[in-house]
Amino acid sequence: MSDHDDLDMLAAEFVLGTLEPEAREEVKRRRVQEPELDQLIQAWENRLAPLGNEIDEIKPGPNLFSRIEQRLDELESAQDRPGETGAAGDQLTALKLRLRRWQWSTALASAASVLLCILLLNKPTPELAPQSFVAVFQHDDQQPAFMLSVDLQSRSLSITPVTAEAIPGRSYQLWIKADPLGPKPRSVGVLNANMEIDGASLTQYDPALLKQATFGISLEPEGGSPTGQPTGPAIHGFLYPANPAQLSL
Amino acid sequence: MEPDLPMRESDRSPSLTELLERCAGNDRRAFAELYAATSAKLYGTVLRILKNERWSEEVLQEAYIKVWQKADSFDAGKASPITWLVTLARNTAIDQLRREPTAANDGDEVIDLLPGHFPDGEQKLAQSREQEQLLHCLKQLEDGRADLVRLAYLDGLSRIELAERFEQPVNTIKTWLHRALKQLKGCMS
Repeated sequence: MSDHDDLDMLAAEFVLGTLEPEAREEVKRRRVQEPELDQLIQAWENRLAPLGNEIDEIKPGPNLFSRIEQRLDELESAQDRPGETGAAGDQLTALKLRLRRWQWSTALASAASVLLCILLLNKPTPELAPQSFVAVFQHDDQQPAFMLSVDLQSRSLSITPVTAEAIPGRSYQLWIKADPLGPKPRSVGVLNANMEIDGASLTQYDPALLKQATFGISLEPEGGSPTGQPTGPAIHGFLYPANPAQLSL
Repeated sequence: MEPDLPMRESDRSPSLTELLERCAGNDRRAFAELYAATSAKLYGTVLRILKNERWSEEVLQEAYIKVWQKADSFDAGKASPITWLVTLARNTAIDQLRREPTAANDGDEVIDLLPGHFPDGEQKLAQSREQEQLLHCLKQLEDGRADLVRLAYLDGLSRIELAERFEQPVNTIKTWLHRALKQLKGCMS
């Protein structure tokens, strides 16, 4: 088989979607620099495109477009500010996707489910942004269970139970997960009987790391997880803007 | 039939192209029109791959953000607008699926869209020449190989999933895929 054939099959399988994840990522990098590969890919896209006619059209939820518009507003307002390149928006997207990924993978690990939350970074406009994050945790995707707020400057945090209630003989435990800390969540602390957590639990972490981190809460045996890793039941978290007015500035 | 219904791609292509051009010029109204005209197609595409409604909406949102951001790179000389849009949505969905290959099976929200049922594609198709040609060439493949291609392209099955489904080693699937793809290309050229 010639090199060209190999390249053509690489392009074909990229379009088909059957490449291994690593190979797929590599093709995405290579096509930017290799016009031949890029052209082969486009040829396959056009060749297979008629298969798309076999797909049923299905309307997405009625609110999706307004969510997309809101997201575009956020991105554009970030770009409009001098000295900013939309990094906060990109970061928000990255955070959301990270939440998604963690949420999906966690949901699968049914035995080790975790109550998830994520910190929402206010955009870093110096004069406007109090360095505060807010996250809302939802129970059964219906009711807010907890709210978490963190002040980045002082690295202080507080947790407010919304509908979550203390459960006798069990404890809620807060976790942090960030790439520099390795693949596993690290315990931040265990909520006490009054559903409070030591407000200084995050002082050992660099603000830059906190901005990147994902946070989770799990329901554990009294006093916290016996294994050092989350073991309790799942409640999923969803992002809400901490301050919508600020986000759309 | 009312003549203004966008039944065939050839009918609506110019307007989608125009909408994309206006999106490239930061025209949000054009973006809204583009969304109205294409979101059901793109959502159908993504949902067929991810088989989970909430996840699919997330991915569709990401895809339309990319549409807005990349509209200026759309080249009508290289692809039809609907092909460009579906490709973008498919790639976003497959990237997500490959990152979290088992996520779509997550419990309660999985929708019942079992892959493998392929009512004869022709009935709802715009009978473009390309369409006819691809269908003709798929029929020329050995038994089961057209399903192999469809399961990958439409349902996002990975080589490993195809191997399980066809009860073959992964390398055999790779060989089958390459042979089928080459036959298709030869047949269509």
